[in-house]
Amino acid sequence: MRVKILVRLKKQILEPQGKNIEESLNSLGFDKCSNIRQGKLIELDLPDGLEDRDTYIKTICDKLLVNNVIEEYEVL
Amino acid sequence: MSLSSAVITFPGSNCDRDAQTYLEALTSQDTHKVWHKDVSLPKVDLLIIPGGFSFGDYLRSGAMASKSPIINDVLKHADRGGYIIGICNGFQILTEIGLLDGALNRNINLKFLAKNCFIKKNHDNYFNKKILSDQCLSIPVAHNEGSYYNSEEGLKSLEDNQQISFLYCDEKGNTTDQSNLNGSLNHIAGITNKKKNVLGLMPHPERAFQDFHTSQDGQLILESLLG
Amino acid sequence: MNTELILQHGLTLDEYEVINNYLQRELTMEELGIFSAMWNEHCCYKTSKKWLKKLPTSNDIVIQGPGENAGIIDIQDDDAIAFKIESHNHPSYIEPFNGSATGVGGILRDIFTMGARPIATLNSIRFGDLSNFKTKYLVNGVVKGIGHYGNCIGIPNIGGECEFDHSYNYNNLVNAMAIGHVKKDSIFYSEPKTIGGLIVYIGSKTGKDGIHGASMASDVFSEDDEDSKRPSVQVGDPFMEKLLMEGCLELMDAKLIESMQDMGAAGITSSSVEMASKGNLGVEINLDKIPLREPLTAYEILLSESQERMLAVILEENNEKVKNILKKWEIDYEVIGVVTDTKKVIFKSQDKIVVDLPVDIIVDSAPEYDRPFNLPLKRKVQEYDFSRLNTETCLNNLLTNINYSHKAWVYDQYDSTVMGDTICEPGSSSGIVKVHKTNKAIGATTDCNPLYIRINPEQGMAHTVVESYRNLVSSNIKPMAITNNLNFASPIDQNIMGELVLSIHGLKETAEYFDTPIVSGNVSLYNQTNDEPIKPTPVIGCVGLNEDYQSIIPTHFQNDGDQIFMIGKPLDLAESPYFLQDQLGLNNINEFNDLAKCDFALEKKHQDFLFQMFDKNIIKSCNDISRGGPIHSLITMMTSQLGFHIKHSNELSLFSEYLAGYIMIIDQNNSESIVKEAQAGCIDLMHLGSVKNSAIEINKFQPKFNSVYEIYKNNFSDRIKN
Repeated sequence: MRVKILVRLKKQILEPQGKNIEESLNSLGFDKCSNIRQGKLIELDLPDGLEDRDTYIKTICDKLLVNNVIEEYEVL
Repeated sequence: MSLSSAVITFPGSNCDRDAQTYLEALTSQDTHKVWHKDVSLPKVDLLIIPGGFSFGDYLRSGAMASKSPIINDVLKHADRGGYIIGICNGFQILTEIGLLDGALNRNINLKFLAKNCFIKKNHDNYFNKKILSDQCLSIPVAHNEGSYYNSEEGLKSLEDNQQISFLYCDEKGNTTDQSNLNGSLNHIAGITNKKKNVLGLMPHPERAFQDFHTSQDGQLILESLLG
Repeated sequence: MNTELILQHGLTLDEYEVINNYLQRELTMEELGIFSAMWNEHCCYKTSKKWLKKLPTSNDIVIQGPGENAGIIDIQDDDAIAFKIESHNHPSYIEPFNGSATGVGGILRDIFTMGARPIATLNSIRFGDLSNFKTKYLVNGVVKGIGHYGNCIGIPNIGGECEFDHSYNYNNLVNAMAIGHVKKDSIFYSEPKTIGGLIVYIGSKTGKDGIHGASMASDVFSEDDEDSKRPSVQVGDPFMEKLLMEGCLELMDAKLIESMQDMGAAGITSSSVEMASKGNLGVEINLDKIPLREPLTAYEILLSESQERMLAVILEENNEKVKNILKKWEIDYEVIGVVTDTKKVIFKSQDKIVVDLPVDIIVDSAPEYDRPFNLPLKRKVQEYDFSRLNTETCLNNLLTNINYSHKAWVYDQYDSTVMGDTICEPGSSSGIVKVHKTNKAIGATTDCNPLYIRINPEQGMAHTVVESYRNLVSSNIKPMAITNNLNFASPIDQNIMGELVLSIHGLKETAEYFDTPIVSGNVSLYNQTNDEPIKPTPVIGCVGLNEDYQSIIPTHFQNDGDQIFMIGKPLDLAESPYFLQDQLGLNNINEFNDLAKCDFALEKKHQDFLFQMFDKNIIKSCNDISRGGPIHSLITMMTSQLGFHIKHSNELSLFSEYLAGYIMIIDQNNSESIVKEAQAGCIDLMHLGSVKNSAIEINKFQPKFNSVYEIYKNNFSDRIKN
């Protein structure tokens, strides 16, 4: 099965990328967007019927995919 | 006094030779070269984790390097009081390992930044004791993710434990928004661990020590260690 | 095989007939693809070859001239320097980030494929007007791409140029130059020597990068999806290239390689054909062995321009050792073929021979055109009205013109001090690095004056070349050799062809006079969109040597009270093209007078004088005079604390161009010495004034120092932001 993990900076962290994107959209005339945040999507395959699938995903996130100091994640 | 030293090379490290040149010139000893897949470090006084783009900075800067086989021995070295200096990507790796607190985020202007900057000593430690309190060091930075972040509690802890080694400043020693080139919280350019034997800093002292470099201020860090 | 297919592959029917007659059969699709790649302008220089052959390419210091991946010169002791400049223009208009990044990647491979460790890069980039809708997007992308690749692989970017002109509105230029250091006995060439030697593939897996899909017959493409028919942009991976570079240098250090060639333009096709040709041998390669990213047909594999790949020949007995070293660096490695004595290029796929061509027909029979060209018409003498200009208006025109503005916005995105050997960074007269573990220093610049070339290609080129010498000389670097990137529009236009021919001639004359051979280079043609051709832009990359790095001369002002002297012959304002363009606003090329003749003897005389003065420690800092005249030179020498006070009877000439012009900064105590030396050497020396703390004064005009400095520093970064 295909697993999709969305990794984002924690809300309290200043994220200049999102602000930059907002400014660029504004300058193109799209001024209705606000509060833009940018994250990254990690997709991977896991065997169907994997035991303790959720624990496995949590472990790989904690161990490598996510920096818990500044990032949070969501399994989509 | 002399110092034995080693430099670790990861795939993508590109300041390893520079660190070696720096160490050999100032410690008058040959530096051991360590490959990231080695399982043990030679017994040395000082270990440098150099700058570069280890593992291409893929996933996060320093994330994959922090899982290399050699890291176990790096932790042991720190545990028994050995000195470590993590420069730029090395600083990032030390935060990923957890030897240093906090994290390095994208520069606030979202651009790679390569220029000379000024830093000054903040809290005392082995790495800056030869630097005077009103002395500004001119040292180059070259990074994309150098903006230091920590939570409020984390920052307070660094203050309380006197772990903030260097701050970005202007040539007069003032910490201003303009002199904080990458938007680091509290103008932090370098920190130590609680035991103060591990230093991480974004500027490159190994690019500020030779007679033809724009500044020789980088010498002061090694000279502090050499006593 | 039909007419349409042949023409789609960029061959003329005559050219196809030559091949047909030689082989006495029709080509396979794969073979047609090979000729399409090898006989195009980029690979075989069919338009420019005839003229490039006339260039001086050798002297005592040349170890390798044009014909290999890079040129190599002897810099004494055991040391040699490899260098080359190359373009990646069209891709960087389509996709500026990846187009320019892969340009840097390509030129670096050309250097380390010869066993040289890259030690510096420079970039010459040109864009259209800032007001043009796409320019800012292109500037951002190109600068980011160059920075991304060079910074990640860890090679300092030490200089270059960044120019804006409307003729590049739809054809921006990216020329990337690289310099490498190699020991003379450790140079590797592309020529295989051993019949039975293994041909090996090293590096990234092959994908669809760079294959031009849209116009090709559909049956040559894999069937997976619609995307397969769209052209693919080359995407570079600098981390991969760093591993590749370290792996290859380690292999060469261990003497495990017999020959090596990088897979650049036309990928495995050009590298294998060139190897066979150099060695006067044959190659037989099994395409099924090529590591692939995705399913590809034989045709696609042959034409793929996937990045970060090398082709090498090794002896069979070294196979295991090679494998182990590459495994350490985690680089893909496959034995894909063998060197033969058949003098043929044979490619197999799925047990069938899909390509079976004698090397001769591909290489030696490659077309060489003799395109007709026009000589420029003689220009009539024109007069201009300069009455509305004064020092203030001229200074203002300089400060508000981004072509004169400080470019830190660009080069602060490039790491210029990695590798720890940089002596002079971007912003100086020339980029200079120390040769590691020696006392020698290598200096380099990139220069071009497209306006000059458009007015008078031959003289314009001469002026460009001597300017590149002046940039090196002012830092106390002796110019030694040249690499060149000829960027022109369509050579089918006889006027443009004339510009190409004459600028090559101008380069020849200058390089011969000053004994600076051309050891490498690149040609990029057809840089035009609809009816707007680019200005002729033959970029010179000049490299030189100083045997003692401690005698390098800085560019900027050093101390308050130092004296400012000048040598050089001012051009008449009416004969100063940049003055006319930038101060009077002239745009139509017919409105300009002809160029003043370049004065080789005066340039040589001043070079010699400066080297003598440097030797005697009389000069503290130095800058050459070019576009913008002495005033622009002085402004670029300013620091945040130091300006200048000067007096001159002809103020406007302070903004005009000069012949053999230099500004020299002398300690007060040495003023008499420089005057005496100039007299003894019959040099026309002029005392302009002095360096002054936080002040600028030009005769009676006293603009605010801080304002001038701020505008100079910030004009470009202010204008480039959205």
